[in-house]
Amino acid sequence: MGTPPVFELTDVSVRYGHVHALSRINLTVQQGERVAVIGPSGAGKSSAIGLLNGTLMPTDGRVRVLHCDLAAATARQLRDVQRKLGTIHQQFDLVEQLRVVNNVNAGRLGAWPFWKAVLSLLLPREVPKVCQALDRVGIGEKLHMRTGDLSGGEQQRVAIARVLVQQPVAVLADEPIASLDPARGAEIINLLHDISIETGTTLLASLHDVDIALERFQRVIGLRCGRIAFDAQPTDLKREDLAALYALELEPGRT
Amino acid sequence: MAAAPVRTTERANLPELALREAISVRPRSGRSFARRSIAIAALLVTAGALLATGVGHAELIRAAGFSQLVDFFRASVHPRLDAAFLALTGVATVTTLAYAVLGTALSLAIGLVGGVLSSETWWQSGTRGRRRRSATAGWAVTRTLLAIPRGIHEVVWGLLLLSLFGIQPIVAVLAIGIPFGAVTAKVFSEILDETSRRPYTALITAGASRPSAVLYGLLPPALSELFSYGFYRFECAIRSATILGLIGAGGLGFQLQLSFQALQYNEIWTLLYALVILCAAADFWSSVVRTRRAVPRVLRASNRPRRDRILVGSFIVAALLVPLSAWWIGLDLSVLWADRTWSLARQLFGAAWPPRLGADGPIGLLKLTGVTLGMSIVAIVFAFLGGMLLAFPAANLTRLVGRTKGSRLGLALRLIVVAITRVLLIVLRAIPPPVWALLLLFVLYPGLLPGALALGVYTVGVLGRLMAEAAENLDARPLQALQANGAPPPHVFCYGVIPAAAPRFVAYGLYRWEVTIRETIVVGVVGAGGLGLLLNQQLASFDYGGALATLITLMVLTLLVDFASATIRRSLR
Repeated sequence: MGTPPVFELTDVSVRYGHVHALSRINLTVQQGERVAVIGPSGAGKSSAIGLLNGTLMPTDGRVRVLHCDLAAATARQLRDVQRKLGTIHQQFDLVEQLRVVNNVNAGRLGAWPFWKAVLSLLLPREVPKVCQALDRVGIGEKLHMRTGDLSGGEQQRVAIARVLVQQPVAVLADEPIASLDPARGAEIINLLHDISIETGTTLLASLHDVDIALERFQRVIGLRCGRIAFDAQPTDLKREDLAALYALELEPGRT
Repeated sequence: MAAAPVRTTERANLPELALREAISVRPRSGRSFARRSIAIAALLVTAGALLATGVGHAELIRAAGFSQLVDFFRASVHPRLDAAFLALTGVATVTTLAYAVLGTALSLAIGLVGGVLSSETWWQSGTRGRRRRSATAGWAVTRTLLAIPRGIHEVVWGLLLLSLFGIQPIVAVLAIGIPFGAVTAKVFSEILDETSRRPYTALITAGASRPSAVLYGLLPPALSELFSYGFYRFECAIRSATILGLIGAGGLGFQLQLSFQALQYNEIWTLLYALVILCAAADFWSSVVRTRRAVPRVLRASNRPRRDRILVGSFIVAALLVPLSAWWIGLDLSVLWADRTWSLARQLFGAAWPPRLGADGPIGLLKLTGVTLGMSIVAIVFAFLGGMLLAFPAANLTRLVGRTKGSRLGLALRLIVVAITRVLLIVLRAIPPPVWALLLLFVLYPGLLPGALALGVYTVGVLGRLMAEAAENLDARPLQALQANGAPPPHVFCYGVIPAAAPRFVAYGLYRWEVTIRETIVVGVVGAGGLGLLLNQQLASFDYGGALATLITLMVLTLLVDFASATIRRSLR
């Protein structure tokens, strides 16, 4: 392939004390891919996302993001990489007390000098860009609302708008729809999917909803007990693979 | 990833906010043995402290003074109300208010910056080993730096700054702003550390720098709590500004002292009324702001009026008061960087180092430390008992136990009792301890007991109010369950209210003990004895080496009391 991969994990393990969150993971994600990570609770999905956005350092192995070895990077290099990654969280992680416009602009903080950040709290900067992003996620009219007054689905849209103004190379989504009802959840995934196609950004999302993962993503990775159980296109996946992925550990005979 | 601290859903109420000023303790399961031994130790210590202040072996009560006291109280209905004196009182009141406003503003600025810099969140954003160690060191250093100004009372700051600047308006502003700022920083750092770290982490993850991430992710949720606490500090600042008046800053305290020296009882009453009204107004303003802010948005009548007019108005008024106050007292900041100030500072430090012990050596200092400790213990025991006694009549418990079937008359009587007790508490805490000491000197011989009682009387006002608010904030459900079982109100009170409130009361009592040990200085300054008197004498006679030794002793004593109080609070929780 011409362009180097966006994410590259080589023999990566993460341990918390005696608990193995991830064991010897190998994973490569290319530019523009849309990948879903599924698996039961505690399988290591959040740890994987944490490794990729540089908030978690591996116990063993190498994590390369956009040519940069994160463990060896200086603080400045790490920040430069992080600026190119947008992350969306289950709890949205917005500041409820701020107006929507400021929450969206928070995505630009990595690129702004401090004085501009201060000024923008009083007189919001780059409002046209914010409006464009909010229009794209479908809540353009909420620009000046207090974020805490919005519904859960709307708040997740604000979080996506925040990632949009950041103009990242890749978007990481850590269970983005786990706090939403199925209908809102499906809309959010569609939105992320469409944005990924329009802007050519890589999308990697961890999900609980297997059907959405199979339907909306080109590639599905199954994690179980910190290991990759399968890494395949949805069409290649069989019912048994999925059943085995979610099987209860204590009762191996029953599925 | 490290578990993010969970944000408490309930907003901290005033007693809990005030408690944050003390050392924080991790709760431990209470053990009855520890409780019992602490109770016995408390009794013994109190008896010892009473002996130390002269109860039982010295002549204490001055019978001849009673007629004077009667005269004094007779004057209460004839305050001096002619135009000239009213104008004087008005000017003095505004001056005291101005000092309080500027001191609070400075303390908020210090608290905001210091709070961020001493929060764990600020230092713990690094993920790697080497950086984490240096971060822990940085956190410990800022915490320690802030602990020093906190241990020194406003009046001591005032005396020290007076030596540096001479009589200048800036002295009172700094004397209030520096120690209050350090306390505010501690409280604010704890508020910040309890605020959800997720939005902040999310911004850091997106590549934002720490200052920007703090600005967008951490401050907005925590800021309103800081301002709410700032309004509470403003009430305290008015009391401090009055006390600073006694050492020469002007305002109500200064006028009170002049009138006391001239024994003009009716003038004293005019000034006391002004002081009580000022304090009551500040208390009222502060509690309106705090309760309005505490109402969750969803419960407000409608979503339409986006902003609470009274809240916004309060902030605008507060912001306007700052420049007005600076103009009123003629604040001159240039003395801060004047050459004279710096050369004087060098001289002062040169004279103070190394610290020197007085003629009595370490034993003398130790004795005075014991006396100071004894005073604080008598004061806090008195205040605790008095506060308990007044807290329940002052607490409006009708919300907790629901509408009883009692008559309208009964309810009205109850509310009258609440109102009267609250006014009493306001009066007790509006009049600063040195003034209480001067009043007590009518009927008591000068010495430690009037000093201790003066502190105690004042602290009854503070503690009674904290306890009353704590009682009002009790969980209503167990009380309503008792009531539903047919228990009459006195039984509900004994079985529901007292057991639930008692541990909190003890915690507030211990926290106020930490404050009281610092305040013994204040009554010492008016002659009650202990380390405060010594320090005042040393500064007046330019014995800076001795003053430094006293100051260090005082700081060590303060630290020991803080530590003892925190240990007891932990074993009681």
